[in-house]
Amino acid sequence: MRLSALRAPALVLLPPAAAAASLLVGATALSPHDVASALFAPHGHGVLHTIVWDLRLPRVCIAATVGAALALCGAMLQGMLRNPLVDPYLTGVSAAAAAAIALAILAGAAAPATPAIGFVAGLGAALLVAALARRGTGIDANRLILAGVSLSTLFAAIVTLAIVRANSSDYAGTILSWLAGSMAGRGWHELAVAAPYVGAGLLLCAWAVAPLNALRIGELRARSVGVDVDRAQWIVLAASSLLAASSVVLAGLVGFIGLIVPHLARRVVGSDARALLPACAAIGAALCMLADAVCRIIVAPAELPIGVLLAFIGVPTFLYLYLRPSPLSGSGGA
Amino acid sequence: MIRLRDVGLQVGGRTLLGGINASVRTGEFVAVLGANGVGKTTLLRAIAGLHPVDSGSIALDGADAGDLSHAERAKHVALVTGDEVMLDALRVGDVVSIGRFPYHRWWEWRSRSEDEIAVERALRAVRMDGFSDRLFSTLSAGERQRVWIALGLAQETPILLLDEPTSHLDVRSAHDILGFLRALARAGKSVVCALHDVNEAAAYADRIALLCAGRLLATESPEDLLSGPLLERAYDIPMERVRLADGRLRVFAGKGGETTESRPPG
Repeated sequence: MRLSALRAPALVLLPPAAAAASLLVGATALSPHDVASALFAPHGHGVLHTIVWDLRLPRVCIAATVGAALALCGAMLQGMLRNPLVDPYLTGVSAAAAAAIALAILAGAAAPATPAIGFVAGLGAALLVAALARRGTGIDANRLILAGVSLSTLFAAIVTLAIVRANSSDYAGTILSWLAGSMAGRGWHELAVAAPYVGAGLLLCAWAVAPLNALRIGELRARSVGVDVDRAQWIVLAASSLLAASSVVLAGLVGFIGLIVPHLARRVVGSDARALLPACAAIGAALCMLADAVCRIIVAPAELPIGVLLAFIGVPTFLYLYLRPSPLSGSGGA
Repeated sequence: MIRLRDVGLQVGGRTLLGGINASVRTGEFVAVLGANGVGKTTLLRAIAGLHPVDSGSIALDGADAGDLSHAERAKHVALVTGDEVMLDALRVGDVVSIGRFPYHRWWEWRSRSEDEIAVERALRAVRMDGFSDRLFSTLSAGERQRVWIALGLAQETPILLLDEPTSHLDVRSAHDILGFLRALARAGKSVVCALHDVNEAAAYADRIALLCAGRLLATESPEDLLSGPLLERAYDIPMERVRLADGRLRVFAGKGGETTESRPPG
């Protein structure tokens, strides 16, 4: 594992820098001194304290968690399935969560209950996809992709039907805001609810590092050097489902990050999972925090859905970076 | 030391291996021969624990392979296989260091000094020292084959299995690799190598295991096997035998029977 002298500190400093920038930006302009004084007085009072501790800081934490979680999911699934086009929502988590949330909104479920409904539905879909993809004691990569895509299409149709059948434009708007992804209105409570699942996902992710590294030389050789590939597949699937479902609870459906960040991170640190996964977490968290900050101010006082911003800015940037010759491969691509 | 007792393996109702009884001693180089599809690769994978057997047992250095965990098994036996598509841009050192997987617990991410020594030693053994930072994708077929062997050596196992390590290699590269494998056996490893070329096997192996339709026809010395009738049966083709001036026997497919004298080249 070799990182250049500049890349490792840059990756370490990236998330705190993005967090600092995100804390400064919003409807009310705050100076670095204001933010720092509020941060160092967690039991303080007043408007400044409320803005920093109750509005911006939880949002920054949520953005960091969602960005890191989705990027890690993408990197793990792409590594396990050896398919660079896989994203965290492959397992049907997002589509099922969206369908369940859409139906819950239509049925008039209380707003605080909808994230939990989405979380349960997301994990249920992941289990169903895993059951369909099961082969022997392991998972068949092709069946996993086919099952995930098929079920996602079915759930997407349910969402469309829910939007069409919505009697009120408010319902349709609420459903669409989930689909586009947003951290507006989320706070410490949502973060506390998701924290155990994110923690479990991260622990499983850490377990998967060495097997993912070995899988880079192919499944057969990974088995030969002692990797329990079947167990690794189940653990990666469980980790990515927990992390993806948690991010859905926290921010709705935030696209782009889980697919693209692993590619960007690979360009920076290579494919060694010991460097790749932390780099994905750092870049994903920073990207999501910065994107959320921009979403808050670009069309203020309204907010732009983060998925829209990420697509408009991120995709051209990614294509530029990705199509340049890679220092690691000598050609385009990762 | 490998001991196979009545090993059988079926897939989808089809018998791939049946009634295999054999042993490979420490320090022995055994070549596995047979026509395409007779089960050479399956046999190697079964010994390596990648295909669970349906009947019989496989013992690795006295331990029942079925009782070993994945990591413990990988400390006993390494399997070197042919090229497989890799999506990532890996350096040679990264590839070979993956052979140290069984010596790490899941939370031990960092390479230890013994890992680095093992990787260096493995690369030096296959004469690839100095290639550690080269991208694997820029290597020739022969160099890649050496890297795969180095990966197996980095596992530091007493048993080394190789599935057609000389396929796609020129005569010189094949000679180098087989000579190296024979030296490994002389140094104390048990080496089992699936090969296509009968004469290559005869030139380098201590014994040859001949497979036919998933069954072991014989495990004999090269001289006994090449002079006997089993090769014709295994490959279903007549063989011509040529005795070189130095006494070594060589076989050629297609003509049949007659033994002739010939001078060795050069």
